[in-house]
Amino acid sequence: MYALLLAVGVFGVFAFQLDVRVRNEFEGRRFALPARIYARPLELHAGVRITQADVVDELRELGYGDAPREGESGWFRVDGNAVEIAARPFVFWDGAEPARRLRAVFDGPQVSRLTDAEGKDLALARLEPLPIGGIYPAGNEDRVLVRLSEVPKHLIEELIATEDRKFYDHMGFDPRALARAATSVFSGRMQGGSTITQQLVKNFFLTPERTLSRKFTELVMAILLEAHYGKAEILETYLNEIYLGQDRDRAIHGVGLAAQYYFGKDVQHLTVAESALLVAMVKGPAVYDPRRHAARALERRNLVLRETKDQGSITMEQYAAARAADLGVSPRPSMGTSPYPAFVQLVHRQLRRDYDEKDLRSEGLRIFSTLDPRAQLSAERALAKRIAQYDKERRFGQPGLEGAVVMTDPSSGEVQALVGGRDARYRGYNRAIDAARPVGSLLKPAVYLTALSEPSRYTLITPIDDGPFLWKSRGAPDWEPKNYDRKFHGLVPLRVALAQSYNAATARLGTDVGLDKVLATVKKLGVERELRPFASTLLGATEMSPLEVAQMYQTVAAGGFRSPLRAIREVTTQEGKPLQRYALKVEQAFPAEPMVLITAALQGVVREGTAQGLKAFLPPEVAAAGKTGTTDEQRDAWFAGFTGDRLGVVWLGYDDNRAARLSGAAAALPVWGDIMAALMPQPLALAAAEGIEQVWIDPQTNLRGDSQCAGAVELPFMLGSAPPERSPCVSVAGAVIDTVDNSVKKAKSWWERIFGR
Amino acid sequence: MGTHLRALALLFLLVACAAQEPAPSPAPVEQPPVAVPATKENVAIAGLMDSARADAAAGRLPSAAASLERALRIEPRNPRLWHELARVRLQQADYAQAESLAARSNSYAGADSALRAENQRLVEQARAAQR
Repeated sequence: MYALLLAVGVFGVFAFQLDVRVRNEFEGRRFALPARIYARPLELHAGVRITQADVVDELRELGYGDAPREGESGWFRVDGNAVEIAARPFVFWDGAEPARRLRAVFDGPQVSRLTDAEGKDLALARLEPLPIGGIYPAGNEDRVLVRLSEVPKHLIEELIATEDRKFYDHMGFDPRALARAATSVFSGRMQGGSTITQQLVKNFFLTPERTLSRKFTELVMAILLEAHYGKAEILETYLNEIYLGQDRDRAIHGVGLAAQYYFGKDVQHLTVAESALLVAMVKGPAVYDPRRHAARALERRNLVLRETKDQGSITMEQYAAARAADLGVSPRPSMGTSPYPAFVQLVHRQLRRDYDEKDLRSEGLRIFSTLDPRAQLSAERALAKRIAQYDKERRFGQPGLEGAVVMTDPSSGEVQALVGGRDARYRGYNRAIDAARPVGSLLKPAVYLTALSEPSRYTLITPIDDGPFLWKSRGAPDWEPKNYDRKFHGLVPLRVALAQSYNAATARLGTDVGLDKVLATVKKLGVERELRPFASTLLGATEMSPLEVAQMYQTVAAGGFRSPLRAIREVTTQEGKPLQRYALKVEQAFPAEPMVLITAALQGVVREGTAQGLKAFLPPEVAAAGKTGTTDEQRDAWFAGFTGDRLGVVWLGYDDNRAARLSGAAAALPVWGDIMAALMPQPLALAAAEGIEQVWIDPQTNLRGDSQCAGAVELPFMLGSAPPERSPCVSVAGAVIDTVDNSVKKAKSWWERIFGR
Repeated sequence: MGTHLRALALLFLLVACAAQEPAPSPAPVEQPPVAVPATKENVAIAGLMDSARADAAAGRLPSAAASLERALRIEPRNPRLWHELARVRLQQADYAQAESLAARSNSYAGADSALRAENQRLVEQARAAQR
């Protein structure tokens, strides 16, 4: 008697421990959801610059079908120069965007009109954002959580008919199956007979073990589970938990994700045949993988269908139709945990500053990122294409040439695209954020900006001496920079020294204004890394990642307003409740005037300097600003530049630091040009600043000219810093009248250029 | 054996019932304010600006800021939008941002002296509040 009580007591403790565990696991499983990362949503409104083809591409990426399905959302129809869209609903941080019909009419590369189905004008519509990856729990399990009510009835019936016919009647186990299993223990062969509940419990263990004690523990846990939870809850968890395949490093769990992965649709829309295929795979997703072993998968699917028909759960007609259907698996390429691993890595790093790793992997957070899929694809394509071309031309052997690209929105600092290497799908070394490479001439704008901040000493036309230069300092070897063309050019205007990227002139200018001041400028531009206080730093003998370079140029592109580069806009809970905003932050790091001057000088680099090659990619009206960079022995080729609405940084080189024999102008610039050309960038208009005047300069004399002088350029000057003398090229007779008249006209045209169309 | 197990199951059932907790209910979803159609050239911007103003007036400052940032992504060179965002930051007592954003507004204000004056007043308010 006591022995019996003791046995019950011991078992009671064991059972209690298991009970706690079962409930923890079950609750935990139900909510262990990876953080889901979304691209920026596409905003549609009259006037937005996007082509019809790009909108169609984005809709296809979102899984929208290209034929109308009445009563449903998630499809589009191309109708001449218009696209009709049945947009799905989506809950954003600032509210829900309803399911609705949209009609966008295109006029060239722009939406000319946006209306609803009745033809009423709509001000603005936001499409749902593209999911671009997640931050997954250990084992990279992915999930799309579904509610039982969303799962088609036939899927559940097929599952029960195949896996556990007595599911609704048993208490967690099937005594007859158990008895069979028990005899099989004695015959030495452990085998099946698991109910759905038992299969679910089995998933709570990380290792598949087939011992008697494990079997017993599972059995008790299954009974406990049934005691705590209803059949519906157990079934729902099972449907979300069941392992249904492997996509590279990503484990496919649950029917919601499997429906997406195999058929490219939501689980609600699965047909009888499609859901039967998923049920068929429960037994072994690798063995019955429909993409690898189609015949085997088909055979088992038809078995599932027959069993379901035999149970009377589907009609003879349904059975016949489903049996005749082909597998219907979409040809979707394998993506792994994200098609954009480099960008997702950046998002993950920025999130880790504010969130626990555990919460990121289990709370189902929704992360709204800044990724612009169009910019990303352009960057990936351009980099891959050019690297393949250079590899072929040079044949420098393995490992091949590498590269990285960062694209941002210059006004907000949002990162729009990130490519971490030649294989954009590869999850590994992310050169865009982790490679530190000498930046070479990319640092020069900081030298010139420092000089131009002193208008009493320097303007865009101040003569700078590009003669031989020798720098001696204690504790460092003598420094004698050479020019790229191995020549010296004597006195040149400041803007030409930058446009031609003359090293001797820049070294002289930098040491004249003061190395410490230049380093302070670099810091103010947003570079947090400490640069070595050596004169050679002036010519970029200092290492940065492409992302750091982008930060530096972002401040220039934003007219001296520094915004930290961001990859995240908002974080919400799974239900859409806002948790955190990553707000736009700006800080004025420089006054407006010197920024106008340096931007004009960088436009000069493209117009008449080392980046003239961009003429082959962009029309001159874009007036892009940029800078080439090439390091010693051409180990690194860089280009950094911006237009009115995009900023990009491109790096090329070898991981092992071999000489690439590629220059910034010849190799990095074409990548940048390809990317920008595909994105139809907005022109870069110089900002207006109170302390700036535009003056025509005669390049022969570097004195005031007018538009009639040969080769005259209009340049910005800080008030009072432009040369007072007139060049002889100005016709003396008309000079006075002409100046007044012209300045009015000039002011107007300049005004129109900035604000008019 | 059957009765034995059933008894055990009953035992667990008792343990279980005592420890059951209510499931968390999902949070209600906030509806966006209705955008009032405007007569300005870019109706998308006007709509966002109106809803930002309504949000700001009702004290929903984060929503107001979100609408303005959304508008700025469409028209980054619109000085009025930068000014409105500066105003929201001022209301949020983020004085440093208010000042920077007003300066940003000025950088696009061109000859709009009324807006420049508004920005100037805003900067002074931000500085006064910090003293």
